[in-house]
Amino acid sequence: MAGGPPKALPSTGPHSLRDMPHPLAGSSSEEAVGGDSTPSPDLLMARSFGDKDLILPNGGTPAGTSSPASSSSLLNRLQLDDDIDGETRDLFVVVDDPKKHVCTMETYITYRITTKSTRVEFDLPEYSVRRRYQDFDWLRSKLEESQPTHLIPPLPEKFVVKGVVDRFSEEFVETRRKALDKFLKRITDHPVLSFNEYFNIFLTAKDLNIYKKQGIALLTRMGESVKHVTGGYKLRTRPLEFAAIGDYLDTFALKLGTIDRIAQRIIKEEIEYLVELREYGPVYSTWSTLEGELAEPLEGVSACIGNCSTALEELTDDMTEDFLPVLREYILYSDSMKSVLKKRDQVQAEYEAKLEAVALRKEDRPKVPADVEKCQDRMECFNADLKADMERWQNNKRQDFRQLLMGMADKNIQYYEKCLMAWESIIPLLQEKQEAKFPVTAVLS
Amino acid sequence: MEQAPPDPERQLQPAPLEPLGRSDAGLGVAVDEEAEGAREEGSGGDTMTHNNFWLKKIEISVSEAEKRTGRNAMNMQETYTAYLIETRSVEHTDGQSVLTDSLWRRYSEFELLRNYLLVYYPHIVVPPLPEKRAEFVWHKLSADNMDPDFVERRRIGLENFLLRIASHPILCRDKIFYLFLTQEGNWKETVNETGFQLKADSRLKALNATFRVKNPDKRFTDLKHYSDELQSVISHLLRVRARVADRLYGVYKVHGNYGRVFSEWSAIEKEMGDGLQSAGHHMDVYASSIDDILEDEEHYADQLKEYLFYAEALRAVCRKHELMQYDLEIAAQDLASKKQQCEELATGTVRTFSLKGMTTKLFGQETPEQREARIKVLEEQINEGEQQLKSKNLEGREFVKNAWADIERFKEQKNRDLKEALISYAVMQISMCKKGIQVWTNAKECFSKM
Repeated sequence: MAGGPPKALPSTGPHSLRDMPHPLAGSSSEEAVGGDSTPSPDLLMARSFGDKDLILPNGGTPAGTSSPASSSSLLNRLQLDDDIDGETRDLFVVVDDPKKHVCTMETYITYRITTKSTRVEFDLPEYSVRRRYQDFDWLRSKLEESQPTHLIPPLPEKFVVKGVVDRFSEEFVETRRKALDKFLKRITDHPVLSFNEYFNIFLTAKDLNIYKKQGIALLTRMGESVKHVTGGYKLRTRPLEFAAIGDYLDTFALKLGTIDRIAQRIIKEEIEYLVELREYGPVYSTWSTLEGELAEPLEGVSACIGNCSTALEELTDDMTEDFLPVLREYILYSDSMKSVLKKRDQVQAEYEAKLEAVALRKEDRPKVPADVEKCQDRMECFNADLKADMERWQNNKRQDFRQLLMGMADKNIQYYEKCLMAWESIIPLLQEKQEAKFPVTAVLS
Repeated sequence: MEQAPPDPERQLQPAPLEPLGRSDAGLGVAVDEEAEGAREEGSGGDTMTHNNFWLKKIEISVSEAEKRTGRNAMNMQETYTAYLIETRSVEHTDGQSVLTDSLWRRYSEFELLRNYLLVYYPHIVVPPLPEKRAEFVWHKLSADNMDPDFVERRRIGLENFLLRIASHPILCRDKIFYLFLTQEGNWKETVNETGFQLKADSRLKALNATFRVKNPDKRFTDLKHYSDELQSVISHLLRVRARVADRLYGVYKVHGNYGRVFSEWSAIEKEMGDGLQSAGHHMDVYASSIDDILEDEEHYADQLKEYLFYAEALRAVCRKHELMQYDLEIAAQDLASKKQQCEELATGTVRTFSLKGMTTKLFGQETPEQREARIKVLEEQINEGEQQLKSKNLEGREFVKNAWADIERFKEQKNRDLKEALISYAVMQISMCKKGIQVWTNAKECFSKM
């Protein structure tokens, strides 16, 4: 795992992976094997192997545009992609295989991103690239820029306090890997975001740095326009439904924060309990050295407590690695969602202000000027996107928390089961070798 | 296993009362067996007829505790707890019990009884009293002697103490013990009249003997080391256990916070609300379950404490042996030097320095008559000394024999009791685990419905 032979490598470039079975296994994957793929008939231009042109295969407007014309196609996509079973999915992304790279200037970790897709936006059915955290961060900001009306999933925290957490420890890297995998999966599941340019580049480009350096602006029209909304407009009242969302997010973040603190406190108490247990068990061992007939029973109790200690350690490790990070992710999520809400307010404010200005001008022309119409479009798209995303987010949140909390319950059940087994196995040991003269009646429930 | 012949002054005539112990502490079984053992052991020799004489069995219980105020020796008002001791005799045939005696005693009277037993039965490992002050407490337990939980556990401990004595083949026959159970007024005076306090060995004397004794029985030396180490290890165990209990309490109680926050969170959720709410309830159940769990564990701690204090009783027997042995060695030494003196006087040779020798040299020889007189005195002393040495030797051997017999009995009792204690501890842990599994399984089901 991390800490392997130092290899400074850029992305390894796309290549097919024969070992992984393709989810939509069929003849298409066999054709793609070997890398000398025949270009799909949809493509207007022939592609050289491994090259990713900037011009999109379908020509025309890049996917993800939120002009009114495409909202209906957007809706279609929404309906299609709402079935999240294996049957209708056409894009699969996995983050795994972390590796440590030691260079002169710095040391860092890269993760392998494996993509499998039948989508036309992808030249090849399979890709495998290597990315580091910076790249994910870049992707996220690009998504925020280009899809400002959508909720972008959060990344795990960027900065780690050096000395407190070991950035290269197995646990930390694994926790991060899971979070990054979740991040990409959430984008993959999103009907709009998954078609985003930057996402595509991220998944497929051999060398991401080219795109980063050249600062390729693949901004969509919407992105551009929202970018230019100045902060000068103040919204008078948030519409009820968005106010409700805002309130919900506030309370939600608050409750999650409390749960995070409780969970941390529990782990802390459990660790302190563990420290005492680790002193407690061996005392029985010491005692057994003084005794004759009692030596084995005492030693048995000591071993038993040792087993329980190990089980407890596993519980606290699991909770730290699997439970806390997910909570924190959701807190970050709701924070970023609140800023999207604010942006929406901005757009509405601008529209209302311009509308008022027009009304005040008292011109006879009933026609609303073009730029005010644009504002209205912008606002309505934003509202639609946001509402759709909120609903999607609520569903995912429900599933995520169900899984998270069931997982927590499971870990605790497993802990108690391990302890139960240890204590039950020692009862026969404690009971044996009783002298026939004095039979002991076992006090078993 | 042989027993010391019953001392007519001290022991009840006719002898035992076959006590059938009844105890709320988990030692009931062990104590019963102890009684059975006593019966079996008593079936030899002249105690046989005595056993058959009394067909009744007695039950002893310390059934109540009461706060009282009174005036102490310095006529100052004080608050103390009194314990009700009830003795019942059980008819062999129909098993019905009749209350024969009922009286109130306070802790200091129990102490008096024990101190008396220590003096008159130095070869017996005398059962210990429950602790005077609450020690090895963890944060929730009060260190206050008036705290109801402490009083309750002490009540059980005192009952256990009496049952231990009642089931000891020798101690159970003691008259003072019998009076303790039956004579409320005047008992203190009766005990003091035995003059046992005067007969007690001084601590200083005992310490001196421990350091200076030359040839103690090796078994006692080993036993002394064992009891020291046992004391040390059980103290350590109890201290750490208290800390463990403290931490465990913290873990459980913090989970209670989930109950509240899940409830608050469920208020803003639509589909998730019910599941969260009911899961929160289970978290509350989980948090409150620790109180009973730790209360049960206190009984285990009490069982360990008894043997912590028993170690001191073992130590006391060893000390007595050392004292007797030292006494014997001094007497032998004394005798030897007197014999030598006598020899020197008789033969006229001075082999060792003596004051008499010096003065003789300085002030002239004594007359033959004087010398004869001195020899005679010495010879008398030597005779006396030899008699004393003989009886001391006998005493010493008797003591070793009887003490060792009781120590063997004690070892078996200890092994039985501690095994029982470990088993019941394991059972407690199993129960705790099962409860934990139950609660989390319930919570998991609630989460699944979210």
